[in-house]
Amino acid sequence: MKRRNAIFVTAITGLLFAVFFLFPAWMVVKQAFEGHRADGSGFFTLDYIAMVLRNPIYQEGLWHALALGVTSTIATLLIAMPLALVGQRYDFPAKRALEVLVLAPMILPPFVGAVGVRQILGVNGALNALLIRIGTMDAQLPCDWLANGRFAGIVVMNALHLYPILYLNIAAALANLDPALEQAAANLGCPPWKRFFRVTLPLAMPGVFAGGSLVFIWAFTELGVPLVFDYARVAPVQIFDSLKGLDKNPIPYALTAILLLVAMAVFTLSKWALGGTRQGATPRPKGRANCVRGDPWQAAASSGLFFGVFLLAFIPHLGVLLLSVAGRWYGTILPDELTLHHYLDALSNGLVVPSIQNSLLYAGSATLLALAFGLAVAWVVVRSDLRCRGWLDAMVMLPLAVPGLVMAFGYLALSQEGKVFHCLVGAGGSPFMLLVIAYAIRRLPYIVRAAVAGLQQSNPALEEAARSLGASPARVLRRIALPLIAANLAAGAILAFAFAMLEVSDSLILAQQTQHFPITKAIYTLLSTLGDGTELAAALGVWAMAFLTTAILAATVLGGKRGGLFKL
Amino acid sequence: METISAETLVKSFGRIVALDRVSLVIEAGELFFLLGPSGCGKSTLLRCIAGLETADSGLIRFGGRDVSQLPPHKRETALVFQSYALWPHLNVAQNIAFGLEERRVPKAEIKRRVEEALEKVQLAGFGPRAIEQMSGGQQQRVALARALVVKPKCLLLDEPLSNLDAQLRLEMRHEIRSLVKSHGLTAIYVTHDQEEALVMADRMAILNHGRIVQIGTPEAIYRTPLSSSVASFIGETNLIPGTVLELDLPPATTTTTTTTTTTMATMATIATAAGVLRGRLTDPAWSPQPGTAVLLSIRPEAWRLQLEAGDNAIGGTLVERSYLGQRIRYGIDTAAGRQQVVEMNPRQLHPPGEARIQLHVRSADVLVLQETRDVR
Repeated sequence: MKRRNAIFVTAITGLLFAVFFLFPAWMVVKQAFEGHRADGSGFFTLDYIAMVLRNPIYQEGLWHALALGVTSTIATLLIAMPLALVGQRYDFPAKRALEVLVLAPMILPPFVGAVGVRQILGVNGALNALLIRIGTMDAQLPCDWLANGRFAGIVVMNALHLYPILYLNIAAALANLDPALEQAAANLGCPPWKRFFRVTLPLAMPGVFAGGSLVFIWAFTELGVPLVFDYARVAPVQIFDSLKGLDKNPIPYALTAILLLVAMAVFTLSKWALGGTRQGATPRPKGRANCVRGDPWQAAASSGLFFGVFLLAFIPHLGVLLLSVAGRWYGTILPDELTLHHYLDALSNGLVVPSIQNSLLYAGSATLLALAFGLAVAWVVVRSDLRCRGWLDAMVMLPLAVPGLVMAFGYLALSQEGKVFHCLVGAGGSPFMLLVIAYAIRRLPYIVRAAVAGLQQSNPALEEAARSLGASPARVLRRIALPLIAANLAAGAILAFAFAMLEVSDSLILAQQTQHFPITKAIYTLLSTLGDGTELAAALGVWAMAFLTTAILAATVLGGKRGGLFKL
Repeated sequence: METISAETLVKSFGRIVALDRVSLVIEAGELFFLLGPSGCGKSTLLRCIAGLETADSGLIRFGGRDVSQLPPHKRETALVFQSYALWPHLNVAQNIAFGLEERRVPKAEIKRRVEEALEKVQLAGFGPRAIEQMSGGQQQRVALARALVVKPKCLLLDEPLSNLDAQLRLEMRHEIRSLVKSHGLTAIYVTHDQEEALVMADRMAILNHGRIVQIGTPEAIYRTPLSSSVASFIGETNLIPGTVLELDLPPATTTTTTTTTTTMATMATIATAAGVLRGRLTDPAWSPQPGTAVLLSIRPEAWRLQLEAGDNAIGGTLVERSYLGQRIRYGIDTAAGRQQVVEMNPRQLHPPGEARIQLHVRSADVLVLQETRDVR
């Protein structure tokens, strides 16, 4: 690639990131630290931060968010680590199918899943009904599985939703280890368990840290699940609730800034813990894998572990699925009657069909934008000799570290009447441009990672050969480079698209008129509608599930190597 | 067919100087070799000629035309890669047709020329095959056909045989040379395999540390190396340190006949730790004073073993013998260090441990080299 073009791409990327990523984030931070004198001039102040930190309500909200983040990450690790290790170590029946099944959580927005979980694990849920029926529970003293204050429920939801991210990261880190490293340890007399702690685990730590920090940031700033569980004493919900008084009140800004600072600190810490090693860049080892087929008990236990995790993870889906066909379902094991009415009603509901159209339009445009952009960035990162390409690579990964809530908040503030981004608000208050840009920037990391992986795996000599045979750079791109990494790009694009469809923070905050709602906001609105709103929401959720299953299966097939797409 | 020339090319990667003021002229229709140890800059030079690297300074000319600033796709070279770089998403015929399509050759002609090219590399009928269905040797032929079919101004080959097994490599040497010659191409071939270069090259350049240390025909380079590094890189040699006693001036006492030139060489008498030897100076521009430290290069096959003392001989003890069928290799300890000696089809085998043996050598086979040459 010509140096000039590489510099051009870098400059454009830098500029777009500055305007649509750093600027909104900066605005949030700035409002949080800027006091106003009587004459309108600003000055730096820590008063708002101090006010937030001193206010017992916000204090509690922050502690809860932090506690949610930490406990969710630990719970996620407890699920993901055994899965990844067993998957790497043993062969067992139906391994391939089970390895795909445990990715099930990725097809359901967690806050929709929360509705399903409530239906099954709630006080009047299916599980209690079952236990009362078989006589192990007193009908007068039903157990609340989601626990007091719903804190545990949110942790369970988070863990069940987020463990695939960690699982894929650890699995990828383990798969990229040269089997010869462990074989060498065995050869030198190291027994299996010591081998795990002295060789495997230290080498897999980058994967654990990478996935762990993503999970923490996600859980720490999760908005949808606490909203559905009516858990208001947590910082993200407090921010969401204070949106109405945005213009004057600096408190939500201060709260958001604190979330951002914590998230960035964790992200930086995990990067630092990785020690600058770039495990993703190492070529795939060629040695024979250490995968063994254990005795039948071991195999059964392995299958059982995977299947058990799948069953747990499937509870929300099951709840949503049953809810979507339930005529009446309260205090019984299964719905009293089954009906397809909700699907039909959903189609005639004024919210549903437009929301599907909107989501397809927003997510599709965002994916295309991110694809073009991500490909150019990946190209510079892998194929150019610019000294700043490492920085470029790090910069486009940043959206993973910044909570969606912070960005959404920044965009909202900047798109108010008279502010810079107001020109992006379309006719009739259409959030099209805002949402597309927000989705695209936050999904860019997936595309860049996928394209970088593809380009790194394809030999530059393949492109040089085409150039020496007379193909111009543009022709090389079209005829050689793109076809060779098409599978990687498609996998990245599908994931980006799926996650854009499931997006919660931007969608909930930026889409304000009913006719512009994307699916997630439509579901959220339906949930709070009286009557059969919940069931309609479930029906819409099932549609989304079916749709995303197809998309993610396609991405898994195309992407080949699992997990490479989720690496930091 | 065009003359390719480079003028004072400089290319550095960070602090590493890959090409240090390299100049050379490759005649039209020549099969020219770039040879040197890994990291010597030979691949960089080839890539500069292909346009895949841009030199920091210096000129590259194709037939008088400066192409230094042309991008690779406008240079009309064709590069055969070490890894072959065949596109896995295209089949054999599509791979070969690629360059023709980029040159907007009509469809019917493409079809004809692709078939012709496949025939020339003995792969007729393999067009619809996928690349991964081809063996290493077949892939290598496809890569050659893909480069030859566009009739390049210059064919560039970057260690094209290094991924093949030994037997196939021997066969392909002849095949590549005859293909290049029958197409009448100017070709530049990079390798670190000195035997490949000796067998195939019209002329070659030896590179070391980014500089050209010698250019010449295989025979000239083997028989008249200008430095000890060239002498030990091309073929095997025994290097013996010594001091000049006297120079035979004027020259012309001995003539060395090569196929191309007749050289009048300066002879010198050199004192070594094992005795006095007469030898030939390879660099005509160099006339060392008596007392100058020099290196003598004597090829293993130049030594002749005999039991009785004679002219231009040193004494030693036979300590090692390896039997290699058509030849015998001896290790002989002398006062000037261990000497490797190779005898072809010998009349008698000397047993190791034999008391004393004499190593005799023709004075024309003792090469007197400057000790400090191309040491940086």
